[in-house]
Amino acid sequence: MTRPARTSRRLAAGAALSALFVAFLAACGGSSNSSNPAASTSTGVNGGTATIDMASAPDSLDPQYGYTVEAGEADWITYTPLLTYAHASGVAGTQVIPGLATALPVVSNGGKTYTLTLRSGLKFSDGTPVTASDFTYAVERMLKLNWGGDSFFTQTIVGASAYLAGTATSISGITTNDSTGKITIRLTAPYGAFDNLLAFPSVAPVPAGTPFTNEPTNPPSGVGAYIIKDVIPNQSFELVRNPLFASFHIPGIPTGHLSTIKVNIITNTTTEAEQVLDNQVDNFDAGDTVPAALLSQIKSQAADRFSLQPVETTYYFFLNQSKAPFNNKLAREAVNIAVNREAFQRLAGGTINPGCYLLAAGLVGHPTKPCPWGTLDSADLSKAKSLIQQAHLVGAPVTVYGEQVSPVEQWVEYYAGVLKDIGFDVTIKFVDGSTYFPTVGSQTADPQTGYSAWAEDFPNPVDFYLLVNANSIQPVGNRNRSYVNDPHIQSELSKLDVVPTSQLQSVASQWSALDYYVASQADELVFGYGTAPEFFSDRIDYSTAVFSPIWFNDWSTWELSK
Amino acid sequence: MTRFIIQRTAQMVVVLFCISIFTFLIFQVIPNGNPALRLAGQAATPQTIAAIERQWGFDKPIYVQYLDTMQKILTGSVISYSQQINVLDQIKRGLPATISLAGGAAVIWLLFGMALGTLSALRAGRFSDRVLAVLSLVGISMPSFVVATVALYLLAYKVHVFPLSGYVSLAQDPWQWFLHLVLPWFSLSIIYVGFYSRVLRSNMLDTLAEDYVRTATAKGLSRRRVIVGHVLRASLIPLMSLWGLDFAGVIGGGAILVEVVFNLNGVGQYAAESIQTLDVPPILVIVMYGAFLVVVLSAMIDVLYVVLDPRVRLTA
Repeated sequence: MTRPARTSRRLAAGAALSALFVAFLAACGGSSNSSNPAASTSTGVNGGTATIDMASAPDSLDPQYGYTVEAGEADWITYTPLLTYAHASGVAGTQVIPGLATALPVVSNGGKTYTLTLRSGLKFSDGTPVTASDFTYAVERMLKLNWGGDSFFTQTIVGASAYLAGTATSISGITTNDSTGKITIRLTAPYGAFDNLLAFPSVAPVPAGTPFTNEPTNPPSGVGAYIIKDVIPNQSFELVRNPLFASFHIPGIPTGHLSTIKVNIITNTTTEAEQVLDNQVDNFDAGDTVPAALLSQIKSQAADRFSLQPVETTYYFFLNQSKAPFNNKLAREAVNIAVNREAFQRLAGGTINPGCYLLAAGLVGHPTKPCPWGTLDSADLSKAKSLIQQAHLVGAPVTVYGEQVSPVEQWVEYYAGVLKDIGFDVTIKFVDGSTYFPTVGSQTADPQTGYSAWAEDFPNPVDFYLLVNANSIQPVGNRNRSYVNDPHIQSELSKLDVVPTSQLQSVASQWSALDYYVASQADELVFGYGTAPEFFSDRIDYSTAVFSPIWFNDWSTWELSK
Repeated sequence: MTRFIIQRTAQMVVVLFCISIFTFLIFQVIPNGNPALRLAGQAATPQTIAAIERQWGFDKPIYVQYLDTMQKILTGSVISYSQQINVLDQIKRGLPATISLAGGAAVIWLLFGMALGTLSALRAGRFSDRVLAVLSLVGISMPSFVVATVALYLLAYKVHVFPLSGYVSLAQDPWQWFLHLVLPWFSLSIIYVGFYSRVLRSNMLDTLAEDYVRTATAKGLSRRRVIVGHVLRASLIPLMSLWGLDFAGVIGGGAILVEVVFNLNGVGQYAAESIQTLDVPPILVIVMYGAFLVVVLSAMIDVLYVVLDPRVRLTA
């Protein structure tokens, strides 16, 4: 439903059809959502096995290739990077903490040099000692395997780009000392979110000598609470506890409670939800969407073990400012005034939260001021119409791009209807999901407006501001689909981009002001933020389970109920 | 027979060649279908995209890409773009589920189709014939995914008679294998049962009017012998041809929706996943594999024709 990369690729065909027919069969009950408190003290039991149903298989469980949410869920507790995220629900879970490094990096040379030290005595799950140079090996392997987010590294680390291009045999910007464990990384320019980059499992050390090929069925050894085994691609895999990990005593990283976590790939989300509702399976994967037909039944029958957790995904329509009619600010203002953002929420069955700012609600810098375009549940069509008349754009042709998958299809149709109501001559162009984002990100198609979404790669506003950063405009794979090129935004970003993640709070007000500015410029038509289902069987102790805002379900915190 | 086999093999090679080219070209002309764009991820730079194109050979001329892909298919080293898994291994892994599904369903739809078609023909014009006609039309009109979903909801989720989903191998547990396949078998069969019964009824009514049937009756043969030995045998010939092609279609990955709804992890489900991600190598292999099965089973049916009707000679 979101962008084509760090997101589930769902088998909509059968599941959607199934959901359609279950709709008239399913009993509907009252709705009462419960919200899971952050992890509390343990009340469960150690050991045991939990089973998870997952609708989309991970693209790969190899940490240097896996990029989807499903891969991340398994990999972040199997491959601990130098830095990682606190195992906590909510905003606390966005805090970067030391992982395999002894401490957060020492930043010097004006933000261009990061120095870390590897903890001593670490071993991979196969017993091989971990060395500092294994980090370099992991970065090189990640680049050569073309990991989905590799551009974050090629654009920041000195020599990474040359290494990827094959013009260098090693990454000149990374130096390590195996005897001291010291790791020094030189950046091409200060980049405040570099801590976040070091927290990707894709740069977690793997043993030197691991082949430079994706190993989907036999993922390499790592350092983490669990070990991935018995991978049958597109069918199942297991995680078993790593007996070595507890002896490393890494603060803040759970060593796991369950002995085994079994994951079954089951493409029919209706069956997936029914199995969890029926306690046949212990978890509905957070990367999947609960079928709308079953949502009220689940909320009613499983109120104590189901909730929709907010996640940092922004849903919006891009408004291409490089061409008519959205090169006219009045047109952009008109569409922002004309839509009722709660209508989008209703069309999604309540699975998104309405909003108007680019920065999702849980992010540092998300403005607390009311939207510049009125309340979220209102729409002022008459004012919007007058703006279109004032701009002499009545009858102007607009083609709206979208995917024909629920609820995007409904969102696109609603949006197109609003555009028509305020005076545009509207055409809808649906593109198959497999080519949608390459299409709207291509200068060849150069669409005027269309559906888009952005799920965070890491909890830093910088990641979201790729969408309006003029430097993101490129002929293919374009992320700045509105072609925003605003000197004020560029000037602010040049200052904010370099602020280290650890000091983000100190610039929260600047981010907030910038985000309010972007909203008031109507650079995008933001309408909401995502949620993900946290849905367990009765067997899991819901009170201790952590829902990470980055990696969703934190399997290492799960315990069986007493 | 040797000549027949040689000619059929040559035909098969031509068919597979044409299908492979056609399938490969379809994915080349899809707008923005460049796999490098999808492999590169959402934050990719043109440099990354170019690196992937170089690495995978997407920057080469189409005919070179085609030849490279075919070479990998024929040597068994072809891997998928999205997951980089050996495609042939994946198909081999899914084949037991697909064969189990197709085999059981094909037996069901043939037996039920024959039974209902025969009954309908013998009672043509009567009330029972009309009832069977309505039931057949209902069966033909009901998409298999509808039957599958309703059956799954009622018999697996609500009543717990059958498991909710998945496949258990025959070697692992024969009883569970059976239980996991009952609903998929019937869901897949219903449409074919309706269709086959109508075709057989029509064939039998035509055959019943043939002179040789009248002659057999005049000679004093029992009605059972006339029906089974003459009418049914002759009427089954076109049905066998259909059965072979349908069976090949299903075993070649055609039961996509049923496999997806019941999560059987068969070849059809793999095809569906690959289509959704526009993953050309698996799609190409599955299409060629399906075509191969259709051609081979078609040849086998031709041989069976000779057994059913000695007047037929084997010609390619």
